[in-house]
Amino acid sequence: MSQGGRVRRSSFRGGVVPFLLLLALVLLALLPESFTGIDPLTQHARLVLAPPLTSGHLLGCDFLGRDLWSRLVSGSLVSLTVGVSVGILSTVIGGIWGILSGFLGRPWDPVMMRTLEIWYALPEILIATLLMLVLGHGLLAVVVALSIGGWMGVARVLRAETLRLREAVFMDAARSSGVSPLRLVFRHFLPNVMPVVLVMVLFRIPGGILGESTLSFLGLGLAPPQASWGVLVNEGWKALPVSAFMLIWPAAFIVLSLVSFQILADRLGRRLGVGR
Amino acid sequence: MRRILSRLFSSVLLLWAVFTLTFLLTRFAPGNPFSEGRHLPPEVMAHLMSVYHLDRPLPVQYLLTLRQTLEGDLGVSYKATGIPVSEILSQTLPVSLSLGFAALCLSLFLGLLGGILIGAGPPLLSRILRQATTVLVGLPSFLLAAVLIDLLALHGGVFPVALWEGWRSAVLPVLALAVAPAGYLARVFAASMEETIESPFYRTALAKGVGSVRRILFHLVLPSLNAVLSLLGPLAAAFLTGSFVVETVFAIPGMGRVFVLSVMNRDYPLIMGTTLVYTVFLTVAILVGDLLSEAVDPRVRSV
Repeated sequence: MSQGGRVRRSSFRGGVVPFLLLLALVLLALLPESFTGIDPLTQHARLVLAPPLTSGHLLGCDFLGRDLWSRLVSGSLVSLTVGVSVGILSTVIGGIWGILSGFLGRPWDPVMMRTLEIWYALPEILIATLLMLVLGHGLLAVVVALSIGGWMGVARVLRAETLRLREAVFMDAARSSGVSPLRLVFRHFLPNVMPVVLVMVLFRIPGGILGESTLSFLGLGLAPPQASWGVLVNEGWKALPVSAFMLIWPAAFIVLSLVSFQILADRLGRRLGVGR
Repeated sequence: MRRILSRLFSSVLLLWAVFTLTFLLTRFAPGNPFSEGRHLPPEVMAHLMSVYHLDRPLPVQYLLTLRQTLEGDLGVSYKATGIPVSEILSQTLPVSLSLGFAALCLSLFLGLLGGILIGAGPPLLSRILRQATTVLVGLPSFLLAAVLIDLLALHGGVFPVALWEGWRSAVLPVLALAVAPAGYLARVFAASMEETIESPFYRTALAKGVGSVRRILFHLVLPSLNAVLSLLGPLAAAFLTGSFVVETVFAIPGMGRVFVLSVMNRDYPLIMGTTLVYTVFLTVAILVGDLLSEAVDPRVRSV
């Protein structure tokens, strides 16, 4: 017993540091005032491109003299919101598609899977970019575009999981004891796919963050003065010849969060036995 | 043969679906392609709309565009007035293809080398590289491009900052494009080698005492290569997305940049042309990858 306990704990080793990092990031994004105390949109003409630690500005100022630290913190909320929303929305779309396909069986399953395969050939950013034509430049537009662009992997995994669970002994037991179909799905099936669904959400979050920053960087996503990591990188990129700081800070946040989410999803997936 | 035919059929289906979707998305986009940045007199606007058939009912426009496209005519760019889309594509596609091909070669080399070192290298190096690939896969290409430009172009002065003139200008974009896919490749390849190590025939080779170079090359690396072949489709997609960013960053006159600009400019024929070429490119990559891996390993076919 103790042996089993130790093995389980060690399988999550290495997930602790990314978890704490992300926790800090979320706190930072949710409680901006208590960390910065500076308005992210106020421009200080004298502090244009000030280096870090200039008169109370921890990370320096950007090309309009706005405090970089507070812009970064307010951008964190936007980027994390996009990431988590894309994670949830694309998992919902992919989940409905995959579970339906798995449950309905023939003749629907092959048709739905063929459609999925065809759609899967197109890269997420290509689909999202085309969708941005219609959706505009808002936060919701970015979330919807990226979710429609990237739900296909989720659908595949959840279909496989549905096929596996459909044949499980406890489902047979429930069916043969005369449980109604609705109750079968909601009380017996859904609670058992929840772990996989959670891991899928976690897998999709970094995709959402990366997608947002790529779109915004290309000028196709969120637009200034709305701050997000992608918008900040875009601005920092333009300022690169004069100052590297405007690029370094948001870049560091993006890389740290992406890697943390990926490691966390990987560890959780391995622990819950979701193959990847 | 029947399998190939059915694959071709679904490719045609995909092309038609992409055509229809792109058509609908462009026509339902708010605003119109000629209203941006200038105020045209109403009669000029009406003339422009009628020249490009944009004043017709939607189904008529759809059929007109479909017939035109089937005849191989992609129309004329709205923004670069009067220049046929096919001409723009024939100028920019070779640039993107050579950039992508160079990046593919580099990432295959780096990825296979990395995979071998992770799978069969010394334990410490293997662990370090495995961690490194986690970071590399998550590293957005625009960040890598920025670091490369800052270090090697702006401050180092070794390579040019941008543009597409001669091999020196290709070094940084190819590197920026190749590194993330290389990390991905290395991970997949290493995982595939781990599976091979578990297999009976590898253990037999080990037990027979086959020399270590021969064992690693012929009993471990070659049988594991198949996993890489089936990745050709996803890799093509990765290079395509990467090219949007890298060509924009380095101001390379390739198709990725044309695509991004055409979306910004609402240049409908150009959006349609680039999207269709991309779709053809992706389906060919996936098809070739699948056929190659079936040829190498007939077991795949029965699955």
